[in-house]
Amino acid sequence: MATTRILEWLGRFYIVLLLGFLYLPIIIMAAMSFNASPFYQLPFEWTTDWYASLWQNDQLIAATWNSIEIAVITTIISTVLGAMASLALYRYEFRGKKVLQALLFPPIAIPWLITGTAMLIFFFGIGIGRGLVAILLGHVALALPYVIVVVSARLQTFAPELEEAARSLGANQWQVTMRITLPWIMPGVIAGGLFAFAVSFDQFVVSYFLSTPGQTTLPVEIYAAIRKGFTPEINAVSTIIIVVSMALMLLTARFFKFGGEK
Amino acid sequence: MAGVQVANVSRSFGAHKALDDVSIDFADGGFYALLGPSGSGKTTLLRQIAGFDFPDSGRIAIGGESVERVPVEKRRIGMVFQNYALFPNMSVADNVAFGLSVRGEAKATIAAEVQRALDLVQLGKLGARKPHQLSGGQRQRVALARAIVTKPRVLLLDEPLGALDKALRVDMQIELKRIQREIGITTIFVTHDQEEALTMSDRIGILRDGRLVQEGPPEEIYDRPQSEFAATFLGDANIFRGNATGNGILLADGTTIAAAVGDRLVPGAKASCAVRPERIQISTGVVKPDTGNANSLKGQVSKRIFAGNNSTYFVDRDGQTLKVIVQNTGAERLAEGEPVVLSWSPDSTVLIAA
Amino acid sequence: MADQLAIGSRRGLKPALPLLLPAYLWLTVAIFLPLSAMVFFSFMTDLPLAGKDWAFTLGNYAAFFSQGLYATLMLASLRLGLEVTLWCIVIGYPAAYVLAKVLKGRSREAIFLLVILPFWSNGLVRIFSWAMVLREGGILDTALNAVLPFKINIDLMYSYPAVIIGLVHSYVPYMVLTCYLTLQAIDDSLIEAGRSLGASRRQVLWRVIIPLSMPGLIAGAALIFVPVVGSFMEPRILGGRTGTFYGTVIEDQFVAVFNWPLGAALSFILLAVVLIILALAAPVLRRAG
Repeated sequence: MATTRILEWLGRFYIVLLLGFLYLPIIIMAAMSFNASPFYQLPFEWTTDWYASLWQNDQLIAATWNSIEIAVITTIISTVLGAMASLALYRYEFRGKKVLQALLFPPIAIPWLITGTAMLIFFFGIGIGRGLVAILLGHVALALPYVIVVVSARLQTFAPELEEAARSLGANQWQVTMRITLPWIMPGVIAGGLFAFAVSFDQFVVSYFLSTPGQTTLPVEIYAAIRKGFTPEINAVSTIIIVVSMALMLLTARFFKFGGEK
Repeated sequence: MAGVQVANVSRSFGAHKALDDVSIDFADGGFYALLGPSGSGKTTLLRQIAGFDFPDSGRIAIGGESVERVPVEKRRIGMVFQNYALFPNMSVADNVAFGLSVRGEAKATIAAEVQRALDLVQLGKLGARKPHQLSGGQRQRVALARAIVTKPRVLLLDEPLGALDKALRVDMQIELKRIQREIGITTIFVTHDQEEALTMSDRIGILRDGRLVQEGPPEEIYDRPQSEFAATFLGDANIFRGNATGNGILLADGTTIAAAVGDRLVPGAKASCAVRPERIQISTGVVKPDTGNANSLKGQVSKRIFAGNNSTYFVDRDGQTLKVIVQNTGAERLAEGEPVVLSWSPDSTVLIAA
Repeated sequence: MADQLAIGSRRGLKPALPLLLPAYLWLTVAIFLPLSAMVFFSFMTDLPLAGKDWAFTLGNYAAFFSQGLYATLMLASLRLGLEVTLWCIVIGYPAAYVLAKVLKGRSREAIFLLVILPFWSNGLVRIFSWAMVLREGGILDTALNAVLPFKINIDLMYSYPAVIIGLVHSYVPYMVLTCYLTLQAIDDSLIEAGRSLGASRRQVLWRVIIPLSMPGLIAGAALIFVPVVGSFMEPRILGGRTGTFYGTVIEDQFVAVFNWPLGAALSFILLAVVLIILALAAPVLRRAG
């Protein structure tokens, strides 16, 4: 079985190579954000100037605030609406339910380029136009299906007898939901919320088509800066973004996977 | 406390008739078992009484008050679920307190009532535990305490002992019966276990394919089944099929079987006779006529199963296999292949219309 | 069976509506109406805004078919999608296999998370990070020249390979994820059974493992191919002037040329292509659950 051993070690080595491929550019970008040379020249010279100069960049800071604000509002709206819809899809049997569930997939599956340009056309047509309101409308719509899918998955682990038991003890619909169902699906709701935040905070394509100068988000601002020419400042802000979004996903994984065990 | 009246209740799911014109009167304070194979409609009936589902037609009354359109939360019933359905996010005490708390009772009242209920099920010290820290039997007791603490009018139990192992199940049967007597609540209990139904209930209703087959005290159903199904589902029975004579039936091979129990039937009509295996005597010799065993048949032992305190003989007779249960009295055991004579009294023979 | 019918769920759309309406209204306003509007606009000569004259026309679609440029770009984008998908299979499938069948326990969990983690970080920023590596005088150039005894000039930036590398980096975790899920579901005893029947390692791979993991491969391929055909940001950043694809032309119609009806028509054609691909993959995906 020596060949098996060798093949297994080759396999492990391969995984390390793949992780290298996945993380190397990100690590280099992060490293360069601490390098003094504005042209990414080596040798490496430590500095935090680029992070400091971020504070002077009003445009970037305004865009960052917009991004955070939109992500927070998106999270709140899409978790509330998404949890409600998941509950209804879980609790009730009615004709057309399969259709409603199928309708969740176009927003996930259709390339954002198409959704984004379609939103641009439609929002112009009905007078909403571009700007933060349009971006928010779009982000919530993109995040909703993810929330519903995640919360529904959590609901699959819920025993329907628990709701029935609560009702048999005299609890009305509201009491059943608030005291029995919601506590159980909470890990799913939190995971869905983190997903929604990530979808919104990292969203570039849709925001790009819906933003106007002054009413823009951080990724759109970064794209504009990249196309104007690189500066280590972009590295700095990119590094921050990537750390934030990876941390969010780690949190999500924790909640979603280990939420059930207590 | 209150009785429950179910009158002409029907319920269909699509083309499937889950309940077909079922009427049962559950008297106040009684302990009823609804017995039937899976798919017989017993759980559907329980859910109609609970109010999780509404009948297509018919009446349901609790304590004389019509409830067939009242949702479960307004019916003031208590229910114990097959898998207990304890709220996993709450402690034992909070589980038991739930019904009182949604009603808006004062905290002190709730605490006192919860303690009383937990004491009643002998779990007074475990209030702070979470459900997953309890054994199966303890969960069962918590579910029971939770169902009765609100002083419901009826207690509904959906296969409550199904998830327990045999020894524990017997303990819980006794315990459940004790608690039911102590609070005197009308109890309706769904099961597919005939032994459980026989030992626990005052009355049994047997359901099959959505219809009520027979209803009455356990002894009556066992001694006087009104259908082949009732005879074979509740306990074991040997069935003979033939045509009714004045006081029994005539089999196809010309043998007559006398029956003293059951309705008189028009001679010539299709009919069957049921005999319990433990009522049949088995012997190698000729039966003495003075024993009153007017029915006798010849056969051959095909198999014997020894079960300690008794033995079951399978006796082949003319293409039919009959079952005979003999108490282990120390008498000589019969060997397989041995020719035997079976005999039993007409008083042990139930005549059933086909 | 019949007893179970009623358990847990309740009948009727009416009580469900108040819970469903807000979410689905939102999706309607922000997704479904816009997509319909896009179809509508694609048949117009101009936007019916600010009193501009407009009429119905098939001209926007005629442009796609009569001007070879758009069809050529569509083909280029389809080819890009195909190449990226193939690379993702080549790189991702073995990794998924190692994850599912070689690694065990906590290390498998941790590495699995590590592989799919970048996928959930900002795509734009990750593409940008490749610019650091690939450009002339960048990290790859410097590193290779430091190791190699002779002088070479690596300048992959603004080239087709750069676009491929960036896109494969972005989408390979999808392939690992979907293949891992199907590979993990294959019972090890099946592989052992194949071996015990005298099949070689290679025969087991081709005749047992790959056919059984086909749904994951196809799901991954669909999930990668579709967005890559519509990509525009990645070719712009890493492809420079060589990075003109179907997606970038649509982008231009909306942000540079302002010919929205043409952009809408081009988008709709892309949507049709995407839907056909998804429809072809759907039966396999449904079976995979």
